[in-house]
Amino acid sequence: MKNLLEIKNLNACVGEKQILKDFSFEIEPGKVYAIMGPNGSGKSTLSNVIAGNPVYSVTSGKMLFKGKDLSKMTPDVRANEGIFLGFQYPIEIPGISYAQFLKQALTSKMKYLGQKPLDAVAYIKRLKVRAQALGVTDEMLKRPVNVGFSGGEKKRMETLQMAFLEPDFCILDEMDSGLDVDALKIVADGVNLMREENRSFLLITHYERLLDLIEPDVIYIMVDGHIVEKGDKSLARKLEENGYADYK
Amino acid sequence: MVMQTINKIISANEKINDVLMNQSGLLDVVVYENASYDLNLLQAGQSLKVKVSLLGQNACCTLRTVYLSGTDADNKIEFEVIHAVEQTNSKQEIKGVAAGFGKADFYGVIRMPHGSQKCEGSQSHKALLLSDNACIKCTPELEIYADDVKCAHGSSIGTLDETYLFYLMSRGIDETTARQMLIKAFLLSDMPQAFETEIDKWMEANE
Repeated sequence: MKNLLEIKNLNACVGEKQILKDFSFEIEPGKVYAIMGPNGSGKSTLSNVIAGNPVYSVTSGKMLFKGKDLSKMTPDVRANEGIFLGFQYPIEIPGISYAQFLKQALTSKMKYLGQKPLDAVAYIKRLKVRAQALGVTDEMLKRPVNVGFSGGEKKRMETLQMAFLEPDFCILDEMDSGLDVDALKIVADGVNLMREENRSFLLITHYERLLDLIEPDVIYIMVDGHIVEKGDKSLARKLEENGYADYK
Repeated sequence: MVMQTINKIISANEKINDVLMNQSGLLDVVVYENASYDLNLLQAGQSLKVKVSLLGQNACCTLRTVYLSGTDADNKIEFEVIHAVEQTNSKQEIKGVAAGFGKADFYGVIRMPHGSQKCEGSQSHKALLLSDNACIKCTPELEIYADDVKCAHGSSIGTLDETYLFYLMSRGIDETTARQMLIKAFLLSDMPQAFETEIDKWMEANE
Protein backbone atom coordinates (compact mmCIF):
# COMPACT_ATOMS: atom_id res chain seq x y z
CA MET A 1 0.00 0.00 0.00
CA LYS A 2 1.24 3.51 -0.81
CA ASN A 3 2.52 5.39 2.21
CA LEU A 4 0.68 8.43 3.53
CA LEU A 5 3.88 9.86 4.98
CA GLU A 6 7.43 8.88 4.24
CA ILE A 7 10.42 10.33 6.03
CA LYS A 8 13.91 9.43 4.87
CA ASN A 9 17.23 10.26 6.54
CA LEU A 10 15.86 13.44 8.07
CA ASN A 11 18.20 15.69 10.02
CA ALA A 12 16.77 18.64 11.89
CA CYS A 13 17.95 21.08 14.51
CA VAL A 14 16.91 23.86 16.83
CA GLY A 15 19.46 26.61 16.54
CA GLU A 16 22.81 24.87 16.53
CA LYS A 17 21.60 21.74 18.28
CA GLN A 18 20.84 18.73 16.12
CA ILE A 19 17.81 16.82 17.37
CA LEU A 20 16.71 14.48 14.56
CA LYS A 21 19.54 12.32 13.28
CA ASP A 22 19.01 10.37 10.08
CA PHE A 23 15.43 9.80 11.10
CA SER A 24 13.41 7.52 8.84
CA PHE A 25 9.95 6.01 9.10
CA GLU A 26 6.79 5.35 7.13
CA ILE A 27 3.13 5.90 7.87
CA GLU A 28 0.56 3.84 6.01
CA PRO A 29 -3.03 5.02 5.57
CA GLY A 30 -5.59 3.79 8.07
CA LYS A 31 -3.14 2.79 10.77
CA VAL A 32 -2.43 3.98 14.28
CA TYR A 33 1.21 4.44 15.23
CA ALA A 34 2.76 5.26 18.56
CA ILE A 35 6.16 6.73 19.21
CA MET A 36 7.67 6.16 22.61
CA GLY A 37 11.03 7.26 23.86
CA PRO A 38 12.87 8.83 26.74
CA ASN A 39 12.69 12.56 27.42
CA GLY A 40 14.77 14.54 24.97
CA SER A 41 14.81 11.83 22.30
CA GLY A 42 13.23 14.20 19.75
CA LYS A 43 9.58 13.09 19.70
CA SER A 44 8.12 16.59 19.96
CA THR A 45 10.70 17.93 17.52
CA LEU A 46 9.58 15.31 15.02
CA SER A 47 5.93 16.36 15.34
CA ASN A 48 6.81 20.05 14.97
CA VAL A 49 9.04 19.39 11.98
CA ILE A 50 6.25 17.50 10.22
CA ALA A 51 3.82 20.35 10.95
CA GLY A 52 6.33 22.93 9.70
CA ASN A 53 7.18 24.87 12.84
CA PRO A 54 9.73 27.47 11.66
CA VAL A 55 11.62 27.23 14.97
CA TYR A 56 13.07 23.94 13.71
CA SER A 57 15.21 23.74 10.62
CA VAL A 58 15.61 20.72 8.42
CA THR A 59 19.20 20.38 7.27
CA SER A 60 18.85 17.30 5.07
CA GLY A 61 16.53 14.41 4.27
CA LYS A 62 13.13 13.97 2.69
CA MET A 63 9.54 14.22 3.89
CA LEU A 64 6.86 13.15 1.46
CA PHE A 65 3.18 13.47 2.35
CA LYS A 66 0.82 11.86 -0.15
CA GLY A 67 3.86 11.85 -2.44
CA LYS A 68 4.35 15.63 -2.16
CA ASP A 69 7.49 17.25 -0.79
CA LEU A 70 6.60 18.78 2.58
CA SER A 71 9.70 20.95 2.75
CA LYS A 72 8.23 23.32 0.20
CA MET A 73 4.98 23.81 2.14
CA THR A 74 4.20 26.43 4.79
CA PRO A 75 2.43 25.18 7.95
CA ASP A 76 -1.01 26.28 6.67
CA VAL A 77 -0.57 24.39 3.39
CA ARG A 78 0.53 21.26 5.28
CA ALA A 79 -2.58 21.57 7.47
CA ASN A 80 -4.84 21.99 4.47
CA GLU A 81 -3.18 19.01 2.79
CA GLY A 82 -4.34 17.00 5.80
CA ILE A 83 -1.73 17.18 8.59
CA PHE A 84 -2.93 17.98 12.10
CA LEU A 85 -0.75 18.48 15.16
CA GLY A 86 -2.44 18.23 18.53
CA PHE A 87 -0.15 20.24 20.77
CA GLN A 88 1.36 19.04 24.01
CA TYR A 89 0.87 22.52 25.47
CA PRO A 90 -1.93 24.26 23.57
CA ILE A 91 -1.44 28.02 23.78
CA GLU A 92 -3.99 30.59 24.96
CA ILE A 93 -5.03 33.30 22.52
CA PRO A 94 -6.96 36.14 24.15
CA GLY A 95 -9.33 38.02 21.87
CA ILE A 96 -10.11 35.17 19.42
CA SER A 97 -13.10 33.01 20.28
CA TYR A 98 -13.06 29.28 19.58
CA ALA A 99 -16.06 29.60 17.29
CA GLN A 100 -14.34 32.32 15.24
CA PHE A 101 -11.07 30.38 15.15
CA LEU A 102 -12.66 27.13 14.00
CA LYS A 103 -14.77 28.88 11.38
CA GLN A 104 -11.71 30.58 9.91
CA ALA A 105 -9.75 27.30 9.92
CA LEU A 106 -12.53 25.43 8.12
CA THR A 107 -13.10 28.28 5.65
CA SER A 108 -9.36 28.27 4.85
CA LYS A 109 -9.34 24.54 4.30
CA MET A 110 -12.38 24.55 2.01
CA LYS A 111 -10.95 27.44 0.03
CA TYR A 112 -7.66 25.55 -0.36
CA LEU A 113 -9.53 22.45 -1.55
CA GLY A 114 -11.61 24.54 -3.96
CA GLN A 115 -14.84 23.78 -2.11
CA LYS A 116 -17.69 26.16 -1.40
CA PRO A 117 -17.70 27.44 2.21
CA LEU A 118 -20.37 25.94 4.46
CA ASP A 119 -23.40 28.09 5.14
CA ALA A 120 -24.08 29.12 8.73
CA VAL A 121 -26.50 26.28 9.45
CA ALA A 122 -24.22 23.56 8.09
CA TYR A 123 -21.24 25.04 9.95
CA ILE A 124 -23.06 25.10 13.29
CA LYS A 125 -24.33 21.55 12.76
CA ARG A 126 -20.86 20.26 11.97
CA LEU A 127 -19.46 21.96 15.06
CA LYS A 128 -22.26 21.02 17.46
CA VAL A 129 -22.25 17.33 16.63
CA ARG A 130 -18.54 17.07 17.34
CA ALA A 131 -18.64 19.35 20.38
CA GLN A 132 -21.39 17.29 21.99
CA ALA A 133 -19.51 14.05 21.45
CA LEU A 134 -16.56 15.51 23.34
CA GLY A 135 -18.61 17.20 26.06
CA VAL A 136 -17.69 20.70 24.83
CA THR A 137 -20.33 23.24 25.81
CA ASP A 138 -21.54 26.30 23.86
CA GLU A 139 -20.05 28.45 26.58
CA MET A 140 -16.59 26.93 25.96
CA LEU A 141 -16.90 27.70 22.25
CA LYS A 142 -17.67 31.34 22.98
CA ARG A 143 -14.59 31.77 25.15
CA PRO A 144 -11.26 32.96 23.75
CA VAL A 145 -9.05 30.12 22.50
CA ASN A 146 -7.91 28.09 25.55
CA VAL A 147 -8.01 31.12 27.88
CA GLY A 148 -8.82 29.94 31.39
CA PHE A 149 -9.23 26.31 30.30
CA SER A 150 -7.90 23.54 32.50
CA GLY A 151 -5.21 21.22 31.12
CA GLY A 152 -7.87 18.58 30.42
CA GLU A 153 -10.18 21.05 28.68
CA LYS A 154 -7.35 22.25 26.46
CA LYS A 155 -6.65 18.69 25.28
CA ARG A 156 -10.35 18.13 24.72
CA MET A 157 -10.45 21.27 22.59
CA GLU A 158 -7.46 20.07 20.56
CA THR A 159 -9.40 16.87 19.90
CA LEU A 160 -12.43 18.93 18.88
CA GLN A 161 -10.33 20.88 16.39
CA MET A 162 -9.09 17.61 14.95
CA ALA A 163 -12.59 16.15 14.67
CA PHE A 164 -13.88 19.38 13.13
CA LEU A 165 -11.17 19.71 10.49
CA GLU A 166 -11.12 16.00 9.57
CA PRO A 167 -7.42 15.69 8.71
CA ASP A 168 -5.87 12.62 7.11
CA PHE A 169 -2.89 12.42 9.44
CA CYS A 170 -3.24 13.30 13.12
CA ILE A 171 -0.21 13.71 15.34
CA LEU A 172 -1.13 13.80 19.01
CA ASP A 173 1.77 15.00 21.10
CA GLU A 174 1.38 13.67 24.64
CA MET A 175 -2.36 14.09 24.61
CA ASP A 176 -2.50 12.02 27.80
CA SER A 177 -0.39 14.42 29.87
CA GLY A 178 -2.43 16.38 32.36
CA LEU A 179 -5.58 14.33 31.83
CA ASP A 180 -7.45 12.47 34.52
CA VAL A 181 -8.81 9.00 33.77
CA ASP A 182 -12.28 10.23 32.75
CA ALA A 183 -10.99 13.04 30.54
CA LEU A 184 -8.54 10.65 28.89
CA LYS A 185 -11.39 8.27 28.08
CA ILE A 186 -13.44 11.07 26.47
CA VAL A 187 -10.52 12.15 24.31
CA ALA A 188 -9.57 8.57 23.41
CA ASP A 189 -13.18 7.82 22.43
CA GLY A 190 -13.07 10.91 20.22
CA VAL A 191 -9.96 9.58 18.48
CA ASN A 192 -11.36 6.07 18.10
CA LEU A 193 -14.50 7.49 16.49
CA MET A 194 -12.32 9.11 13.87
CA ARG A 195 -10.43 5.94 12.92
CA GLU A 196 -11.00 5.35 9.24
CA GLU A 197 -9.57 3.51 6.31
CA ASN A 198 -7.67 6.52 5.00
CA ARG A 199 -6.84 8.32 8.21
CA SER A 200 -3.69 7.64 10.22
CA PHE A 201 -2.66 8.64 13.71
CA LEU A 202 0.69 9.13 15.37
CA LEU A 203 0.50 9.07 19.15
CA ILE A 204 3.43 10.41 21.08
CA THR A 205 3.25 9.12 24.60
CA HIS A 206 5.17 7.89 27.62
CA TYR A 207 2.43 5.68 28.98
CA GLU A 208 0.93 2.35 28.12
CA ARG A 209 -2.45 3.39 29.50
CA LEU A 210 -3.13 5.58 26.44
CA LEU A 211 -2.36 2.63 24.20
CA ASP A 212 -4.89 0.51 26.11
CA LEU A 213 -7.54 3.02 25.08
CA ILE A 214 -6.33 3.68 21.54
CA GLU A 215 -4.82 0.46 20.31
CA PRO A 216 -1.87 1.09 17.98
CA ASP A 217 -0.97 -1.09 14.99
CA VAL A 218 2.70 -0.20 15.22
CA ILE A 219 4.95 1.11 17.98
CA TYR A 220 8.22 2.87 17.23
CA ILE A 221 10.87 3.41 19.86
CA MET A 222 12.83 6.60 19.38
CA VAL A 223 16.14 7.29 21.08
CA ASP A 224 18.62 10.09 20.40
CA GLY A 225 16.86 11.43 17.34
CA HIS A 226 16.09 8.26 15.42
CA ILE A 227 14.05 5.06 15.48
CA VAL A 228 15.75 2.17 17.24
CA GLU A 229 12.98 -0.41 17.21
CA LYS A 230 9.65 -1.14 15.57
CA GLY A 231 7.12 -3.58 16.89
CA ASP A 232 3.54 -4.26 17.91
CA LYS A 233 1.70 -3.34 21.10
CA SER A 234 3.73 -5.78 23.16
CA LEU A 235 6.65 -3.34 22.92
CA ALA A 236 4.81 -0.94 25.21
CA ARG A 237 4.46 -3.62 27.87
CA LYS A 238 8.15 -4.42 27.56
CA LEU A 239 9.02 -0.75 28.06
CA GLU A 240 6.71 -0.46 31.03
CA GLU A 241 8.65 -3.28 32.68
CA ASN A 242 12.24 -2.57 31.58
CA GLY A 243 12.37 1.13 30.70
CA TYR A 244 14.71 2.33 27.97
CA ALA A 245 17.90 0.82 29.43
CA ASP A 246 18.16 -1.71 26.60
CA TYR A 247 18.33 1.04 23.99
CA LYS A 248 21.00 3.24 25.55
CA MET B 1 -4.56 70.78 8.65
CA VAL B 2 -6.37 73.04 11.11
CA MET B 3 -5.47 72.26 14.69
CA GLN B 4 -8.48 72.66 16.82
CA THR B 5 -9.27 72.82 20.50
CA ILE B 6 -12.31 71.06 21.88
CA ASN B 7 -13.37 71.99 25.39
CA LYS B 8 -15.61 69.70 27.40
CA ILE B 9 -17.05 70.32 30.81
CA ILE B 10 -18.41 67.33 32.67
CA SER B 11 -20.67 68.78 35.33
CA ALA B 12 -21.16 67.32 38.81
CA ASN B 13 -22.76 63.86 38.77
CA GLU B 14 -22.70 63.72 34.96
CA LYS B 15 -21.44 60.60 33.16
CA ILE B 16 -20.14 61.04 29.64
CA ASN B 17 -18.95 58.30 27.29
CA ASP B 18 -17.27 59.57 24.12
CA VAL B 19 -16.25 57.59 21.06
CA LEU B 20 -13.93 59.64 18.90
CA MET B 21 -11.84 58.81 15.86
CA ASN B 22 -8.95 60.60 14.16
CA GLN B 23 -8.86 63.78 16.19
CA SER B 24 -6.16 66.39 16.03
CA GLY B 25 -5.31 69.38 18.17
CA LEU B 26 -6.30 69.61 21.84
CA LEU B 27 -9.12 67.95 23.72
CA ASP B 28 -9.40 69.78 27.03
CA VAL B 29 -11.77 68.19 29.54
CA VAL B 30 -12.66 69.25 33.07
CA VAL B 31 -14.52 66.87 35.34
CA TYR B 32 -16.35 68.01 38.47
CA GLU B 33 -17.38 66.11 41.62
CA ASN B 34 -18.92 62.67 41.28
CA ALA B 35 -18.75 62.96 37.48
CA SER B 36 -17.03 60.58 35.10
CA TYR B 37 -15.57 60.93 31.65
CA ASP B 38 -14.87 57.86 29.50
CA LEU B 39 -13.01 58.46 26.28
CA ASN B 40 -12.75 55.76 23.63
CA LEU B 41 -10.36 57.02 21.02
CA LEU B 42 -8.98 55.63 17.76
CA GLN B 43 -6.11 57.45 16.07
CA ALA B 44 -4.72 56.60 12.66
CA GLY B 45 -2.20 59.24 11.72
CA GLN B 46 -2.89 62.41 13.73
CA SER B 47 -1.38 64.56 16.42
CA LEU B 48 -3.54 64.98 19.49
CA LYS B 49 -3.21 66.12 23.07
CA VAL B 50 -5.82 65.12 25.63
CA LYS B 51 -5.81 67.01 28.90
CA VAL B 52 -8.18 65.95 31.66
CA SER B 53 -8.46 67.94 34.89
CA LEU B 54 -10.25 66.17 37.71
CA LEU B 55 -11.54 69.13 39.68
CA GLY B 56 -14.06 67.65 42.11
CA GLN B 57 -13.97 64.86 44.67
CA ASN B 58 -14.84 61.44 43.27
CA ALA B 59 -14.34 62.67 39.73
CA CYS B 60 -12.91 59.99 37.47
CA CYS B 61 -11.83 59.40 33.90
CA THR B 62 -10.94 56.43 31.73
CA LEU B 63 -9.01 57.04 28.54
CA ARG B 64 -9.02 54.05 26.21
CA THR B 65 -7.05 54.50 23.05
CA VAL B 66 -6.11 52.48 20.02
CA TYR B 67 -3.56 53.93 17.62
CA LEU B 68 -2.64 52.64 14.18
CA SER B 69 0.53 53.97 12.58
CA GLY B 70 1.44 53.22 9.01
CA THR B 71 3.82 54.61 6.41
CA ASP B 72 3.05 58.35 6.06
CA ALA B 73 0.53 58.08 8.90
CA ASP B 74 2.41 58.78 12.10
CA ASN B 75 0.68 59.26 15.43
CA LYS B 76 1.60 61.67 18.17
CA ILE B 77 -0.48 61.30 21.29
CA GLU B 78 -0.10 63.16 24.53
CA PHE B 79 -2.19 62.50 27.61
CA GLU B 80 -2.11 64.73 30.65
CA VAL B 81 -4.29 63.87 33.62
CA ILE B 82 -4.32 66.24 36.57
CA HIS B 83 -5.71 65.05 39.87
CA ALA B 84 -6.37 68.56 41.15
CA VAL B 85 -8.23 67.51 44.30
CA GLU B 86 -8.24 64.51 46.62
CA GLN B 87 -10.15 61.27 46.02
CA THR B 88 -10.08 61.29 42.23
CA ASN B 89 -9.38 58.35 39.92
CA SER B 90 -7.94 58.00 36.46
CA LYS B 91 -7.15 55.13 34.18
CA GLN B 92 -5.37 55.16 30.82
CA GLU B 93 -5.31 52.12 28.56
CA ILE B 94 -3.43 52.54 25.33
CA LYS B 95 -2.86 49.94 22.66
CA GLY B 96 -1.18 50.54 19.36
CA VAL B 97 0.52 49.11 16.32
CA ALA B 98 3.03 50.47 13.83
CA ALA B 99 3.55 48.96 10.39
CA GLY B 100 5.71 49.78 7.37
CA PHE B 101 7.68 52.92 8.12
CA GLY B 102 5.03 54.11 10.58
CA LYS B 103 5.95 55.95 13.76
CA ALA B 104 4.12 56.51 17.01
CA ASP B 105 5.06 58.77 19.84
CA PHE B 106 3.07 58.44 23.05
CA TYR B 107 3.65 60.66 26.03
CA GLY B 108 1.47 60.27 29.09
CA VAL B 109 1.70 62.07 32.38
CA ILE B 110 -0.30 61.73 35.57
CA ARG B 111 0.01 64.72 37.86
CA MET B 112 -0.82 64.47 41.54
CA PRO B 113 -0.01 67.80 43.13
CA HIS B 114 0.07 68.65 46.86
CA GLY B 115 -3.36 68.01 48.32
CA SER B 116 -4.33 65.23 45.94
CA GLN B 117 -4.43 62.62 48.73
CA LYS B 118 -6.28 59.31 48.30
CA CYS B 119 -6.10 59.55 44.51
CA GLU B 120 -5.54 56.61 42.21
CA GLY B 121 -4.05 56.77 38.75
CA SER B 122 -2.88 54.16 36.29
CA GLN B 123 -1.50 54.06 32.80
CA SER B 124 -0.95 51.00 30.62
CA HIS B 125 0.61 51.19 27.16
CA LYS B 126 1.01 48.08 25.00
CA ALA B 127 2.13 48.11 21.41
CA LEU B 128 3.22 45.90 18.56
CA LEU B 129 5.86 46.64 15.98
CA LEU B 130 4.73 44.99 12.76
CA SER B 131 7.79 45.66 10.64
CA ASP B 132 11.52 46.16 11.07
CA ASN B 133 11.22 49.79 10.02
CA ALA B 134 8.36 50.80 12.30
CA CYS B 135 9.13 52.85 15.39
CA ILE B 136 7.22 53.37 18.64
CA LYS B 137 8.29 55.68 21.42
CA CYS B 138 6.55 55.66 24.77
CA THR B 139 7.28 58.11 27.56
CA PRO B 140 5.30 57.53 30.73
CA GLU B 141 5.65 60.10 33.47
CA LEU B 142 4.32 60.31 36.99
CA GLU B 143 4.54 63.62 38.82
CA ILE B 144 3.57 63.03 42.43
CA TYR B 145 3.73 65.51 45.28
CA ALA B 146 1.17 63.86 47.60
CA ASP B 147 2.19 61.02 49.91
CA ASP B 148 -1.01 59.01 50.21
CA VAL B 149 -1.79 58.04 46.61
CA LYS B 150 -1.67 55.03 44.34
CA CYS B 151 -0.14 55.52 40.96
CA ALA B 152 1.18 53.00 38.45
CA HIS B 153 2.31 52.79 34.89
CA GLY B 154 3.48 50.04 32.58
CA SER B 155 4.60 49.87 28.99
CA SER B 156 5.50 47.01 26.72
CA ILE B 157 6.43 47.08 23.06
CA GLY B 158 7.07 43.87 21.16
CA THR B 159 6.47 42.00 17.96
CA LEU B 160 3.83 39.42 17.03
CA ASP B 161 4.48 36.17 18.86
CA GLU B 162 5.64 33.54 16.36
CA THR B 163 4.22 30.77 18.58
CA TYR B 164 0.71 32.19 18.17
CA LEU B 165 1.24 32.59 14.45
CA PHE B 166 2.34 28.97 14.09
CA TYR B 167 -0.62 27.74 16.12
CA LEU B 168 -3.11 29.47 13.79
CA MET B 169 -1.22 28.43 10.65
CA SER B 170 -1.07 24.82 11.85
CA ARG B 171 -4.86 24.88 11.57
CA GLY B 172 -4.74 25.89 7.91
CA ILE B 173 -5.03 29.65 8.28
CA ASP B 174 -2.69 31.51 5.90
CA GLU B 175 -0.06 33.83 7.34
CA THR B 176 -1.69 37.12 6.34
CA THR B 177 -5.07 36.14 7.79
CA ALA B 178 -3.42 34.73 10.93
CA ARG B 179 -1.47 37.96 11.46
CA GLN B 180 -4.61 40.03 10.97
CA MET B 181 -6.55 37.88 13.44
CA LEU B 182 -3.83 38.27 16.05
CA ILE B 183 -3.44 42.03 15.53
CA LYS B 184 -7.17 42.55 15.79
CA ALA B 185 -7.42 40.35 18.87
CA PHE B 186 -4.63 42.32 20.50
CA LEU B 187 -6.14 45.71 19.71
CA LEU B 188 -9.75 44.91 20.51
CA SER B 189 -9.22 43.00 23.73
CA ASP B 190 -10.74 45.28 26.43
CA MET B 191 -11.29 47.98 23.82
CA PRO B 192 -14.51 49.21 22.16
CA GLN B 193 -15.75 46.89 19.43
CA ALA B 194 -16.87 50.04 17.59
CA PHE B 195 -13.31 50.31 16.25
CA GLU B 196 -13.44 46.96 14.46
CA THR B 197 -14.34 48.32 11.02
CA GLU B 198 -11.62 50.98 11.13
CA ILE B 199 -9.06 48.41 12.21
CA ASP B 200 -10.12 46.09 9.37
CA LYS B 201 -9.71 48.89 6.84
CA TRP B 202 -6.32 49.83 8.22
CA MET B 203 -5.10 46.22 8.08
CA GLU B 204 -6.23 45.84 4.48
CA ALA B 205 -4.07 48.83 3.58
CA ASN B 206 -1.10 48.15 5.83
CA GLU B 207 -0.73 44.43 6.42
